[in-house]
Amino acid sequence: MLALIAPAAVTMALFQVVPIILGANASFRDWTLYDPKKTWVGLKHYIEVITDPAFFGLAIPNTLLFLVLSVSLSLTFGLGLALLLNRSFVGQSVVRTIVLLPLMVAPVIASIMMRWMFNDQFGIVNVVLEGVGLPPVAWLAYRWTTMMVIVLADVWLWTPWFAVLLLAGLQSLPKEPFEAAAIDAAGPWRVFRSLTLPMLRPVIVVCVVIRSIDAFRVFDQVWVISGGGPARTTEMFSIYAYVEAFQRMNFGKGSAAALVGGAVIVVFGLVLYRLLNRAVEVSK
Amino acid sequence: MTVATLDTRTPMPHKSERGFFSLMAPGARRAFFYLFVIGVGFIIAFPVLWLVLTSLRPASGMFYVHRGTEFTLDNFFEVFENRIVIKAYINSAIIATLATVLSLGITVTSGYMLSRFRGPIASGWFSIIYVFRCVPYISWVLPLYILTQNLGVYDTYLGLLLPHIAVHICFFSWLMKGFFDGIDPSMEYAALIDGCTRWGAFVRVALPSAVPGLAALAVLCWLWTWNEFLFALLLTSHQTPVLTVVMAQFVHELGIEWNLMSATAVMALGPALLITFFGQKYVITGLKI
Repeated sequence: MLALIAPAAVTMALFQVVPIILGANASFRDWTLYDPKKTWVGLKHYIEVITDPAFFGLAIPNTLLFLVLSVSLSLTFGLGLALLLNRSFVGQSVVRTIVLLPLMVAPVIASIMMRWMFNDQFGIVNVVLEGVGLPPVAWLAYRWTTMMVIVLADVWLWTPWFAVLLLAGLQSLPKEPFEAAAIDAAGPWRVFRSLTLPMLRPVIVVCVVIRSIDAFRVFDQVWVISGGGPARTTEMFSIYAYVEAFQRMNFGKGSAAALVGGAVIVVFGLVLYRLLNRAVEVSK
Repeated sequence: MTVATLDTRTPMPHKSERGFFSLMAPGARRAFFYLFVIGVGFIIAFPVLWLVLTSLRPASGMFYVHRGTEFTLDNFFEVFENRIVIKAYINSAIIATLATVLSLGITVTSGYMLSRFRGPIASGWFSIIYVFRCVPYISWVLPLYILTQNLGVYDTYLGLLLPHIAVHICFFSWLMKGFFDGIDPSMEYAALIDGCTRWGAFVRVALPSAVPGLAALAVLCWLWTWNEFLFALLLTSHQTPVLTVVMAQFVHELGIEWNLMSATAVMALGPALLITFFGQKYVITGLKI
C-alpha cells in the first residue's frame, strides 16, 4: 500500500514540501539575491506585507474581484453553451469543436491575442468602435479597462471548460422529470429554474470550487496583458510576490507574500471543500 | 345534448406561432436560432481567426489588417530563421512529452491506492493531496528557483521536469482515483482469490481497464505542460528556452512586430489545433472525470 504511493510521495516531498520549508526560511531573513549574509529578521517581512497597502489593499482585492468576475461569467456563458449543445441541431458537432478550441490555447497565447485585439492604434476593437462612430479607447492605459481585458481573456479561456463539464452533467440527468414537466405544460424558463438548475447543482458546485482555487493563482494572463500595470493597479497576488522577489530583488518579502497568499487560499479551499461535500450530500 | 359538446380538449398553442415569432414568416424561429448559433461560434473562434489572419499579413499590412488583400508566408519563414524559437519549440515538445510519461507513471499507482484502499493512510494521503492542490504555484516556484540552483539543475530539462511532475501529482492522483472508482473491483478480487498478488491484480486486471482514461489524461497533460508559463519563466533561462516564455518576451521586447508575434503564436497553437480536431474524444473524456 505504501509502495504504491512511494514514488509520488518522494517527488512531492522533494519538490513541494522542501520548497515550502525553504520559502518559509527565506521569509524570516533579509534574503536579497545580491547580499549573501541572509540575516535573520523574524516577522519583519510578514509585517511589511500585511501592512503594505499594495498587498491587502490592492493585490488581494484585485485577485478576489478577478476571481468572482471570471468564475461567475464563465459559469453563466458555459451553462448557456451547455444548454445550447444539449439540443440536437444540424452542425452541432462543428459548434462543439469550435467551443473546445479555447481550452487548448495556452493562456499566454490567448493573452497575446487579446493584447493585439485591444491594441490602442491598430487593434480590431478600436477599428470597429471608430466604424460605428465612437471614439477609440486606449484600453490598456486605464485600470478598469485593463482589468476588463484580463477578465475577458480568462472568460474566453475557461467558458469551454464549464460548458464541457456542465454538458456532461446535463446528459446524465434522468429523463422522467423533464417528461413530467412537458406533460404539465411547463414553460422552458420554469423547467430550467425548477428542474435543470437544482439537479445540476452538484456539478456546478464542483466546477466553481475547482475553478475558484485556480483563478486565485492567475499569473500568465496578467503578466502578458498588463504586467500588473498601469502603475501596479492591476497587480494580483502572484504578480505581487513575483515582482517583490525578482524585480525588487527582495526574496524574503516575496516569499512572505507568497506564503501569506498561499495560507489565504488554502483556508478558502478547505471552506469550499466542506461546501462541496454538503452540496453533493444534499443531492443524494 | 350530443357527445360533441363534452369535448373538453383545450387547444394547444402552436409552438412556433407565439409572441414575437407569430409576427414573422414560418421558420423565422429556426432562422433566428441558427443566426444565434453562428454568432456564438464566430465570437468564440474570432480571436484565433484574427491571430491566423494577422500572421499571414506582411509587416506593412499591420495597420490595416481588417481590409488588406496581401497575404504572405514570409512571417513564418522569418520566425523559422530565429534559432531561439526553433530551440524553444523542440525543448517544449521534449519537456511536455517527458513530463506526460513520468507524471502518469508516478500517479497511476497513487490513484489506484486512493481508490481501492481505506483507512488512515489513504485518507491522510487524500487530504495532503487536496491541500497541496490549493497551494498557489508562486509559493513553490520562488523557493524552487533557489532549490534548483543549489541542486545544479537550474535551466536544464531536469530542473523544469521535476517541479512539473510534482505539481501534477496532486491533481492527477485525484483524477486517477476517479478512473479506478469507475472500474468494478470484483475482477481484481477474483484475481486475488486465484492467487494473484495485489501488484499482479493491479497490472494485469485494473490497469488495462484504465487505459482509455489514461490516454485522455495523457493528451491533456501534454497540452498543459506545453502551455505552462510560470514555472518555465522562473526555472529556465538561455540554456533551455521554452516556447511560452520566448513568446511572452516578444510581447514586451519587440511588441510592435505583431506579424512575427502572431506567426510564432500560430506555430505554438499547432499541437492545440491538431488535438482539437483529431483528439476531441480524449479531451472530453479526460475532462469529464
